This record gives sequence, structure tokens and C-alpha cells, in this order.
Amino acid sequence: MTAPLVLPPKLDLPAAGPLAEALRARLDGDLEVDAGEVTHLGALCLQVLLSAATSLRAGGHAMTIRHASDRLLEQMSQMGFTPETLAEGREWA
Amino acid sequence: MSDQNDPMAEIRASFFIECEELLEALQDGLQELDDGSEDPETINVVFRAVHSIKGGAGAFGLETLVRFAHRYETVLDEVRNGSLHPDSEAMKLFFLAADQLSDLVRASRDDTPLPEETSEELLGRLDALLGDEGGSEEVEPADFTPMGLSLSLDLPDLDAGPALNRITVRFKPEQELFATGNEPQMLLRNLAALGEAKIRCDMSDLPLLPDLAPETPYLQWIVELETEASEPEIRDIFEFVDGLCEIEISGGEEDSAPLAESAPPPPAPPPEVPKPAAVSPPVAAPTGSAPVASPPAAPAAAAVADKDGEGDGRKGATAAKSVVRVDLERIERLVNLVGELVINQAMLSQSLDEAGLSPHSDAMNGLEEFQRLTRDIQDSVMMIRAQPVKSLFQRMSRIVRESSAAVEKDVRLVTEGEATEVDKTVIERLSDPLTHMIRNAVDHGLETAEKRLAAGKSKAGTVTLTAAHRSGRVIIEVADDGAGINRPRVQEIAVNKGLISPDVQLSDSEIDNLLFLPGFSTASKVSNLSGRGVGMDVVKTAIQSLGGRISINSEPGKGTTFSISLPLTLAVLDGMVVNVAGETLVLPLNVVVETLSLGPDDVQMLRPGAYVVRVRGGFVPLYDLGVMLGYRSSRKTGEGSIVLLISLEDGSRAALVIDGIQDQRQVVIKGLDDSFYRAPGIAAATILGDGQIALILDPADIIAGMGHIRGSDFMFSERMTANE
Repeated sequence: MTAPLVLPPKLDLPAAGPLAEALRARLDGDLEVDAGEVTHLGALCLQVLLSAATSLRAGGHAMTIRHASDRLLEQMSQMGFTPETLAEGREWA
Repeated sequence: MSDQNDPMAEIRASFFIECEELLEALQDGLQELDDGSEDPETINVVFRAVHSIKGGAGAFGLETLVRFAHRYETVLDEVRNGSLHPDSEAMKLFFLAADQLSDLVRASRDDTPLPEETSEELLGRLDALLGDEGGSEEVEPADFTPMGLSLSLDLPDLDAGPALNRITVRFKPEQELFATGNEPQMLLRNLAALGEAKIRCDMSDLPLLPDLAPETPYLQWIVELETEASEPEIRDIFEFVDGLCEIEISGGEEDSAPLAESAPPPPAPPPEVPKPAAVSPPVAAPTGSAPVASPPAAPAAAAVADKDGEGDGRKGATAAKSVVRVDLERIERLVNLVGELVINQAMLSQSLDEAGLSPHSDAMNGLEEFQRLTRDIQDSVMMIRAQPVKSLFQRMSRIVRESSAAVEKDVRLVTEGEATEVDKTVIERLSDPLTHMIRNAVDHGLETAEKRLAAGKSKAGTVTLTAAHRSGRVIIEVADDGAGINRPRVQEIAVNKGLISPDVQLSDSEIDNLLFLPGFSTASKVSNLSGRGVGMDVVKTAIQSLGGRISINSEPGKGTTFSISLPLTLAVLDGMVVNVAGETLVLPLNVVVETLSLGPDDVQMLRPGAYVVRVRGGFVPLYDLGVMLGYRSSRKTGEGSIVLLISLEDGSRAALVIDGIQDQRQVVIKGLDDSFYRAPGIAAATILGDGQIALILDPADIIAGMGHIRGSDFMFSERMTANE
């Protein structure tokens, strides 16, 4: 596994594009995402992460999300996720 | 606003009006928080104000405003959910941000350049508040197992009262929702706060990453809610994102409706995970299942409390008053029409008089009734324009904050009588003079912290701003608890500037009044705040142009109070109609103390050109109105002349010689156009019952004019009055 992808603190609308870019470059192997700095997770970035997780899983790889703060956990939970369920992405036939 | 036919412009205009109210609520709320309010509703009000501004701004594409409000709101939200406890520094920052928000609102409204630099700086500092918090969280161990969210929010609460509704909400945000700075997370959280919530995310539309357009929303949420809230309350949550998302609310009966009823069944139906599992250690997450989680217990509990507060607040707000927004122009027109009505009624009464009807005739009785009605209508119309001075006072609290920071003094502003109502036009025109007076109080009135401590006072100075109605006028006072006016210094400066002669003896109040002389400034060093060459004389002129008076009361060591007395309205005036040299003039009735007929020994000459009249054992300076206004050259002060004794706000008195008194009546003030030469002593004009135009006099200006012409005379006579 290569170095973890460190997420920026604010994952809001402007961050969605760059995040998708960064993740597209990392779909070829297991991916560790370091969420330690994240203070805000918006729904657009959430779906980028979900989509990345789904893509990784479809390609036989796994995503892990680490260092999520309580605040981030709460935000995820408010949108119906935990780091684990997020890292699973959606079922992909 | 410029284009009245454009419905969008109208909506936009009403949004900005609403913004003013929200900003007011924001200020109030912050003040309460700053005063240590523990009421959770307070922070809710603050949060809602910013949130509503953001919502509206989003609808009009005011991106800068949205962006600022959004980030401000994010921080307030942290306060609201209890994870941020603002200290006094943070409160100061919140106030600054509120000021900035109001600047942004006004700049957006007026299409003026937005103060973006300040925004950035403030946003940085606001983010830092969050950052610190985030920082503390970063120290959390890598595996977040010990999250303090021990969840006891288990199923047992199913046995809660039978009144709970089971409601399913399907919520699909659209792209515009994000573009306007909204976040589903916040809406979902508010929804969850309404009761027991199971939140599922439907990802069935989500493409693989290579096909994903990052700014297109693909997700939707299904929230199963067990709540006491009704459907309208749920819809309220989505009020600001109306049209920016798809909302489906179903259920509402006690019986639980099948969850997927309203939601398109996702290809992989996400099985529900009981709450505790959602936050249990990683192993507990069942593999292969779609994600499900529920809000952790603690925030949920807090959020419920929050919801209660919010509910009450809303109820309170709606129950308070129902109001109609009316374009000011329409009110102006009504005021003008009523003015015409008053004039017309006066004409009618005059012609009935001239027709020689008996005062007991039906026509005269009817006329009396008509007069009363006219007056009532007029009062009511004036009340429509009346507004509480609160908004003005709030602006002043900002001035205090800014000016005290500029001179590095600790200043507290106390306001009283915020609910006092004054004509809107008066309020608008009071802002500048009041700003100047407040700055003056902070800069010159209050001492430095060291001097205050040395004088045995508290370190922080207090500026008190009060408003009250007193005998048909509004009194506004700006008081400081500073050192009081340094009278020897004031006199010295006036002498140095050649404003008075060195040998003149002045009473305390005369010295205080020197501050109002043009070109006077006591600031020995020019500070940022004052000393811009704008003195109290400008304030005085501004107040006078409103038909008001300003006076000073200062006690050494204890402070200085500036009092402004204003008419309640600028539209009508109770006047005394008099004749002078063939002209009809109107004097404001409130200055007239009594009318006299000169006796043989009443008038005494002080020296050539300066006369006084004896009134009840005292002397009052005597002026001939006809001469003062230039209608005649020779003075008419002989026996039998009619004299009006007038008393001004500052306590000075004078006797004016006139030729005759016509009537005492209400007149409609017609402003003199700016293109007219501003004649000294003339305040405005009016149209009388016979259609004749009469000038309305400003007695204080006339007397002051005399003071300018013959300063020492005026001073002398005034002192004489004071010694009576």
C-alpha cells in the first residue's frame, strides 16, 4: 500500500472536484485515506468518497478511512454513514 | 427597487428589508449571549438569523454574502450544538462578523463594492475558532473506538407516548442546493432533531468514480422519523431550500408506513442496522450491507432540546404581531394627502366662519367633528411612519465597538428606551449626528483606563444612550461617565481661536455651549476618531434641521450628557399664526410660553440697540421679529405692542415683538426646496386655510442669529435670564 491520501480540512463544494481528481489517480490499489484534518464533510465530497470506494471495490481493492475525528464521525453519522460503511461504497454488480 | 414593475426586484427589496430585521435579531442575540444568557433559544435565534440571510442571499445569487454567512453560520452551529463555548474574544469576533455581515448585506443591496478583504480576514479568524477545536480532536487515537458516544439511545423509546407520528421523508438535493451554500447534512441533522430518526442514504444513482461529475448530486436520503412534529414543522426545515431539492413526506399516522413506500427502492436495499451498531467498533459493521447509521446519542439529545427552543421561538415570533410591509412611498403619499385634507378642512372652516354661521348650527357642529376626525387620521398616519429607535441604537453599538477599539478604551454601551417610536425620516437623519456624538463621548468624554482607575472609577467606561417621549417630543440622550467637560480648557481654546474675547465672563453652561461653535475642537492631538474638522456645530445644525434642539449637561468628574429633543414628526406642527409687518408667520407652539402686552415701564434699554423686557421680576432680551427678519427697519417696542415670550430647549428665553396673533392651529409642514436660499430663522413653510403661504420660523435659529451678530449681548441676556 502506498502513502495514505491526506484529506484537506474543508470538504465542501469547491473541494469536490480536486478530491475526485486525486482519488481517480489512486484507483489502482488499496487506498488508505487519512481524514485526520477534516473538520467539515459535505455531501458532494461524501459522494466522491463513496464513488471512489465503490470503484476500488469493483476493481478488487479496498479503501480504509483513518483518523476520523469525533466531529467528522458525527457529520458522517448525520448523513447515515460510519467510516466503515463509507469505505464500502455501494453494491456494484 | 428601481424598477417597480419587476417582481423580482420587489422580492429582492423585501429580502433586504427582512435582512435588516434579521441583522437586528442577530445583534440582539449576540448581545444577550455576551451578557451571559444561558437560554438555548438565544443561540438559536442568532444562528437562524445568519442562516436565513444565507438562504435568501442564495436565492438571489449573492455569492459573497452566501459564502460569508455560510462560514459564519458553521461556527455558530458549533456553538449551538455545544461543541464550541465562545469566550469574550470569540464574542468580539462574532460581533465583528455580524457587522461585516451587515456591511455585506448593504453592499449587496446597494450594488456597491463588497468589503471582501475584511471578509477574508474575519473568515480566517472564524475558521480558526473551529480549527482549534479540530486540533484538539486530532489528538484522538488513531482508531476511533473510544468515541465518547456510548449509545443508549436504544429501541426502548418505542414505548414513548402514543402521540408519535411515523413519518418518512425522502430528500434529494439538487445542484443548486450546494451552489447556494446549503448542506444536506445540516438539514438531515435538523430533521433528526425532531425525534427518533433512522437515516439511510440511497446511493443507487451513484456512478463509478471515472464517470462521476463531482458537483452533480447523486445521493438521496430517506429519513424515517418518529416524532411529535407535524408535517408543516418538518417542511419548515426545508423552507430555505425550497425548490433546491426534491422532498417527499409520507406517513404521519401512528401506524408505521412501509419505509420504502415513497422512495424508489434502491437496487441494494440497505438493511437497517440498529443504532448501537452504527457506532460500535469497526468489526460491528456488517460487511456487504449498505451503509446505515444513526445520530449519536449526545448530539441527538442536545438537538432535541434545541428543537424545543426553536419551536417555541417560532411560535413566539408568529404569535407576536402580524405585519404588512408597505412601500414607504405609499405612506408618503398618504401623509401628503392627509396634509391636504388638513389644509382643506382649514379652508372650509374659514369659509364657514366668513359665511357668518351660528356656532351652534349643524354645519359648525359637523365641522368640529370633522376637525377631530382629521386630527385622528393625521395622528394615525403619523404612527404608521413611526419606528422604534432600536435599529438606530444597534447601529450605535457598533460605533461604540469600533471607536472604543480605535482609541483602545474599554467601553460599555447601555441603551434604554429602545422601543420609543420616532418618525422614520427622523430616525434616518439622526444616524449621522448620533454617530458623531457617540464617537465624541468615547474619544473625548471618557478618560483612559489609567485615569479612570486613578479617579476611583471602574476601568471600563459607560456610554448610555436613552430615548424617551416627553411632552410630545422625543428626547434622546447620550451620556458618558467620564471626566466631564474641562471648562477652563474649553474657554482657553475658544479664546485662542478668537471665538470669544479673553475678558468675557462666562457661566458654566455658556462655556459648555462653546463646543457648538463652528471651528471648535478640543482634541489637542488629532485622533483617528475625531478631530476631522467636523465638530459639534455640525451635530447641532443637523439636529436643528430636524426641528430639534441639543443641550449639554456636564458635571466635573462625573460625566457629560448631551440631550437632543426632537419633534415626533416632521410632517405637522402645532403652530401659532402671527402677523408681523403685514406678513403671516407661524411659530412652533411648543416654544411659546406666554403672550404679553407691553406696559409703559416694561421695556428697558441696556444700551443703544439692546433692550430687555421685565417679566415677573426678571429680564428677558427683547427682539422685534419684524426687524430681525428684515421686514422693517425701525423697531416697534412701544407700549401696547404684543410680545411672545418664548423658551428654548436649552432654557434660554427671549421676548419677540409681533403685530398680532391670528390663530393657534395645526399646520402641515412643507419643506423648502434645497434650491432655495436657506434663510436664517426660517425652518419651513405651510399653506394656510385661505390658501396663503406662511413661513414657519425657527426661533432658536433666530435667537442664535442674534447671538452671532451681537455675541456679548446674547450671552449677557441669557445669563440674566438664568439668574432670575
